[in-house]
Amino acid sequence: MENVTEAMKEEIRSVVYEFFAEECERDVCDIIDATNVIDDLEGDSLLFIELLQLLKKKYNLAVSLQSVGKYMLQNRAETIGKVIDLMIYVVNNQEKLA
Amino acid sequence: MKRKVVITGCDMITPAGLDLMSTWDALVNGTSCVGTITRFDTAGLETSIAAQVPDLFNELVPQFCKRRMAKQMTYVTKMAFVSAVRAVTASGINFTQCDRSRAAVILGIVNAGYNSIEQKTGNDRIVKAMSNAPAAWLSLEYGIEGPSYPVSTACASSAYAMAFAYEMIANGQADIVITGGADSTICPEEIRGFNEILALSTLNAEPHRACRPFTKSRDGFVMGEGAGILVFESEEHACKRNASVFAEMAGYALTSEAYNIVAPKPDGAGMALTMERALEHAQINKADVAYINAHGTSTPLNDKYETAAIKKVFGDYVRHISVSSTKSMIGHTIGAAGAIEGITTVMSIKNGILTPTINYDDSDPELDLDYVPNTAREQNVNVALSNSFGFGGHNATLVFKKYKR
Repeated sequence: MENVTEAMKEEIRSVVYEFFAEECERDVCDIIDATNVIDDLEGDSLLFIELLQLLKKKYNLAVSLQSVGKYMLQNRAETIGKVIDLMIYVVNNQEKLA
Repeated sequence: MKRKVVITGCDMITPAGLDLMSTWDALVNGTSCVGTITRFDTAGLETSIAAQVPDLFNELVPQFCKRRMAKQMTYVTKMAFVSAVRAVTASGINFTQCDRSRAAVILGIVNAGYNSIEQKTGNDRIVKAMSNAPAAWLSLEYGIEGPSYPVSTACASSAYAMAFAYEMIANGQADIVITGGADSTICPEEIRGFNEILALSTLNAEPHRACRPFTKSRDGFVMGEGAGILVFESEEHACKRNASVFAEMAGYALTSEAYNIVAPKPDGAGMALTMERALEHAQINKADVAYINAHGTSTPLNDKYETAAIKKVFGDYVRHISVSSTKSMIGHTIGAAGAIEGITTVMSIKNGILTPTINYDDSDPELDLDYVPNTAREQNVNVALSNSFGFGGHNATLVFKKYKR
């Protein structure tokens, strides 16, 4: 069942863009969905954990970091667009990832 | 045959200054950098003074570390990183033009400084706390593929690191080694811990006078902090790129006291053995030594035994040797001390100036060497020693000499 509204999806998209822009010291305008987090933004794997913690707090999510981590190992999110999809999936599937 | 090891870059971040030259100038001017601790509330602690690196350091960091990196670094790691980048810049080395599998990073790190102050700042415990973090960040920065690791032997950590760095180059295992160390233990739990073992000065009312090595009234060391980084290079590698050389590292000795977890062996027997072995290793005649940068902590036992050890090693010749304590001005920088004092020794050789032992105003009749009292002195130095003696009985003496091609 889809719990995430279109408005929330837009909000998550915005959070993800702003998070990576700030952490990687880039202009948000320079980031697109196809931007690669590691290669293009010189990001690191810990960014994903920080982003997840941010969203957990924002949406009061009941997911465990370990469950999401295991899911991410199977479903790699290398671009900004994929990260947004992943975060929407997490918000939508809290019970499964709790 | 062993290869000659030369120093082609160095940098320091200390309570006396945020770079090599500002620190050197302050040391030559005999500036005490000890003051009241401002980073935390010292209520309830017997010691409320230390030599802190100026807060301005925090404004330097963004020039060297990206936000992501800085977030994952402790204060200790940041000092090591910034200092190392500047030392490499000073050396003129461009790692993209070097065989990076023949470069290494060996740093003296007691711990990465993930103390109670750092723990208030947020996440990333593991990457911040691991003692190999400073070496790892430098390996990442320059793509260095040779070994990168920390050495932990308390107050002798960075002297040990420099000895291992020397060995790698002398034996042909590496052409370039970034070495030295960093430390910061100015936090409530460390001050309390050192107070428990009566190691720190409690002259809180007169911070600038608190560290007074070799005097009769000395009452313990003053905590300091900082980083000292050197670039060691084989002479062949340095010559090929026409690099400027600060000085040569001619040899070293490392020994263990095997006596007591904190106290040195009576009469400085272990310290003397270390200096003897270092001179043998460097193939230096005692009569060629002009200066010793002492461990000189300002504790009753260290200063007494170090003096005795110097006398034992040099005999009558001791009256020709000048001895001084950098710690009198910047306190005890613990894991960074060997490197900071090693660099100070190198600068003394390079510039022909001996930095003083300040606060030398009441001589101890038992301690009668030339401690370069209170004022720097111009003096040509061809060969100098730098001593570091750590809790646990880890002794190190490094031998530096003027570089001649």
